Formats: sequence, C-alpha cells, structure tokens
Amino acid sequence: MTFTLPPGLALQKVDERIMTLNVGPQHPGSGHMRIIVQIDGDYIVACDPDPGYVHRGEEKMAEYRNYITNIPHLERPVIHDSCNVLYPYVLGAEELLGIEVPERAKYVRVIASELNRCIYIMYWLAIYGIFLGHSTMFMWPAGDRELLIDLMEKMTGARVTHAHFVPGGVRNDLPPNFEDVCLRQVNYFEKRIKEYAAVFYDNPILIARTRDTGVLSRQDAIRYGTTGSVLRASGVDYDLRIKEPYDVYDELDVHTNVMNEGDSYARSRIPWLDMMESCNIIRQALQKMPKSGSVRTKLKPNPKGKGLDSVYKRVESGRGSLGCYIVSDGKTEPYRVKLSVPSFRNLIALPNLLKGEKLGNMPSVYWSLNYWPVEADR
Amino acid sequence: MGTATGIIRALNSGIKHIATKRFTLRYPEEKLKFVGDGYQFDPSTGVGIAGLKGRHMLFHDHCTGCQLCSIACEGVAEAIAMVKVPEEQKQNKKSIMPQIDYGKCVFCGLCVDACPFYALYMTNDYELSSFSKEGLIYTPAQLQVKPYVAQDSEIQISDRGATHG
Repeated sequence: MTFTLPPGLALQKVDERIMTLNVGPQHPGSGHMRIIVQIDGDYIVACDPDPGYVHRGEEKMAEYRNYITNIPHLERPVIHDSCNVLYPYVLGAEELLGIEVPERAKYVRVIASELNRCIYIMYWLAIYGIFLGHSTMFMWPAGDRELLIDLMEKMTGARVTHAHFVPGGVRNDLPPNFEDVCLRQVNYFEKRIKEYAAVFYDNPILIARTRDTGVLSRQDAIRYGTTGSVLRASGVDYDLRIKEPYDVYDELDVHTNVMNEGDSYARSRIPWLDMMESCNIIRQALQKMPKSGSVRTKLKPNPKGKGLDSVYKRVESGRGSLGCYIVSDGKTEPYRVKLSVPSFRNLIALPNLLKGEKLGNMPSVYWSLNYWPVEADR
Repeated sequence: MGTATGIIRALNSGIKHIATKRFTLRYPEEKLKFVGDGYQFDPSTGVGIAGLKGRHMLFHDHCTGCQLCSIACEGVAEAIAMVKVPEEQKQNKKSIMPQIDYGKCVFCGLCVDACPFYALYMTNDYELSSFSKEGLIYTPAQLQVKPYVAQDSEIQISDRGATHG
C-alpha cells in the first residue's frame, strides 16, 4: 500500500547544514502565527510565514447577521484599532442602504479614527521596543497610551472594542466639555512622543540593530502590493487619506511621511511620525467640527439593501489600506462581506526581507512590518 | 552624532523622569472617574448619550416584555434571556423581563439602542467578577438595583507630567 502525505505535511530531506526552526505559533516573538525559518548557522536561508492559526471566520459570520449586529464582531480582528477596522464596512453599508451621514458625525468619526490609529501604533511600538530588548520603550508607550484610551472611553464608553460607528453616523454624541479635554491630552501626548526620539529613535544601539536590515526596495514594495507604513518607508508617497479622501479628510490638511531607505529603521520610524500627523488632524478636526447638530441618522430597525448591489470601500488604517467588499441581495443580511486587510499584504514581503539576515535580526524585521496576525487571519 | 553622545542623551532623557510624577493609577485604592451616568439611549432622536458601557440597569416600571433587547443580542452574544417575574406591572402583560448573562455579554450596548421604552440603560459598574458562572447571571431583580461606583481619579496634566490626581 502506498501512502502519500499531503504537500504541507510531507517530510523534507534534511540537509546536514540547514536546520528548520519553527518560530511560533505560540512563541511570544511571533504573535499568533508560525514562521518556518531555515537557518545555516546563524543566517536565514529561507523563510516561510504560515498565517491562519487564529482564523475565526469573520467573513462567513457576517453573512448570518444583519447590518447592525455585524458591528461588534467585525471590529474584533484588531481590537486596538477597532474604529478603523470597522470604518470601510460602515462606509459601504451606508452606500448600500442609502443613508446620509450628518456633517458633525463625519468629524466625530475622523477624531475617533485618528485616536484609534495612535492607540494602535503605541501598542505596536511597545511590542517593537520589548522585542528589541528596550524595556523603557515598552513601558512608556504602554503608559502614554492611557491618555488616548481615556479619551476613547469618555467618547464611546469602552476602552477597546468601542462599537461606536454605525451606518448613519456614530452611536452617541460627544460628552460635554470633550473638546477641551481632548485638546489638552492630545497636546500632552504629542509632547511625550517627541521625547521618544532621544531614548529610542536617535539611540545608537537601535540604529545599529535596525539600519540596513531587511531592506525593501521601492520596486519590490510596489510589486508585492505592500501598503501603509511599509510602502511609505520604501519611498512611495501613498496614503488613502489623501489619494481617496473619505468622510471629511478632503477638508483637512493631511501630510504623509515618506522615507527612502526601506529598512527596518525607516519602517519603525514612519508610524511614529504618523502619530504626530494624527495629532495635527485631531486638532484641525476639533476646530472645524460643527459645534452642534445631529450625529446619527435615524434608521429603521432592520435596514435592507436595495436589491442586487455591491460596494467596495477602503480606508487608511493604522497598518495600511483596509478594504471591505459587501454584496447585498436585498435582504437584511449582507450576501457576502470580504475584508481586504493590510497585514496580509505586508506579510508577503517577509520571505524576501529575511533571506540572508541573521536570526537575531528576525524580530526587528518581522515586527517592523506592522503585522497583526489576527487581522491577517480574519 | 557619535555613539557615546547618543547613549548619554538617551540616559539623560530617562533620568529626567525621576523628577516627574507617577502616572500609574493605584487600582483598587483609586478608581477612575467617568463622564455621565452610563451609556443611555434616547429612542425619540435615535442618538445615544455618552457614558461608560458597564453593567445594565433595568427599570421595571418601563419594561413591557417586548423582547427587542433579546432579539438585538441574538447575533452578538446571546446573553439576554427573557424570564418570568413574580411581580405584576400594568404595562407588562406577560410578566417577562430580560435576564443578562455577563459571562457572555460583550458590552456593545446594542440592546440599549433597541429598547424603545427607556427601560434598559447601562451604568458605570464594571466590577462584575464572580466565583461561579451562575454568579454572573443577573436576574431582573438584581438588574433593578442602581450600583454605587466610587469615582475619584481623573487625569491631571501639569508641568511635571500627567498624573491620576
């Protein structure tokens, strides 16, 4: 009897020099995913990222819930960036259901989205710091993140997984006196993150560990279809807040940060610069926001689509362009919801980046991709 | 910038923090202050009122037993079950009211949005731990009680840094 194993499980011929090493899926250095690396001594000769460990079937679940009850579970893929991960779904559902959004709600959404972007980046920065062995850079972002989490808690009533955006606006209006508190805490937050330059970004030890490791050229960055900070660190000026402005981003003055090096250092510096840009956007939005008015269009209890229709919307999340494709067949539930996530697009560059690097450089290269395993697996 | 200068600058930046105040919140001695009285919803305008999404509060004299909160929870957590209550309310002919299982609840507040009779709100109570799974199931009688939540600490920002004052 002949017995053949499926391709993924087939035994590989072992070279005497090459050793196969499984990093993950339960290793703290990889998140919830496995990276199969083949090493020759201390050098990585091949690398095969293996996502899918935390697949939850979010897209299938969305087919059995109506447009409103989809909201709590669709923000679960990235709980720290939950407003941004829900944003394209809400924009798409509004177009499918034919709902107008009040002007004030659009500004509230932009503020929530930018606060969430900072919260996500601070969490990522804390992880990036601790995996480079820099424990101060773990403690400081984890602490300063609290300033913004406090704002989100005042605004939405939850510290993570806010469930704040709905088709037609946002769930509740801003609490009284929110603008002053927000301005004060965001200004202090910006002052704090500027202090990270001396302790982290200008630190010679960090520069020595991340400069010229995992270099992604401009051509490769475009060819692989990477997005967000990975793309901007390789010298491509691409940000959906400018290229395809949604809600009120066209009325705000948004600048992107671009670096040409394409190495781990550039990829780790771009999100930090993005946070300062987010602070600018929050200040502008607070200034331009209408001081009163409705924040939510009243919906019927079970909104229905207008027949066979589909829509694709995308936004710039904390990691890059995040798209949502919704097909409606005129029922209360969407026929199909597809999330096109930035983490999965950026991961495809990893085998190329790690080839020829030392194993000790793996955490700095891997985490610089701004990768979130749960989002990639959906 | 040389390596030595860079390291000295990094150390110097950290040493400055000896003089700044501590940011940590000393929970449970100190507790955070929240805006408002919990998340509420106004069905006439269709807009909520900002507040913490904590444990629910049920107003027995408003609840009609219409099960809309339970239906709203169906696709989310299935935490709400309608149970018989011994008391008789004029507006509640069937005498059924929601019972909430906090082992399942995700605190999204969609049940509050669904209630058209101002009967279900959320409160600032977030300390819901229990030694048993049954202890997390709150009956309509338990949900009627307004919780006491100590709130004393808020983020203060001064020249010497941010604190939970």
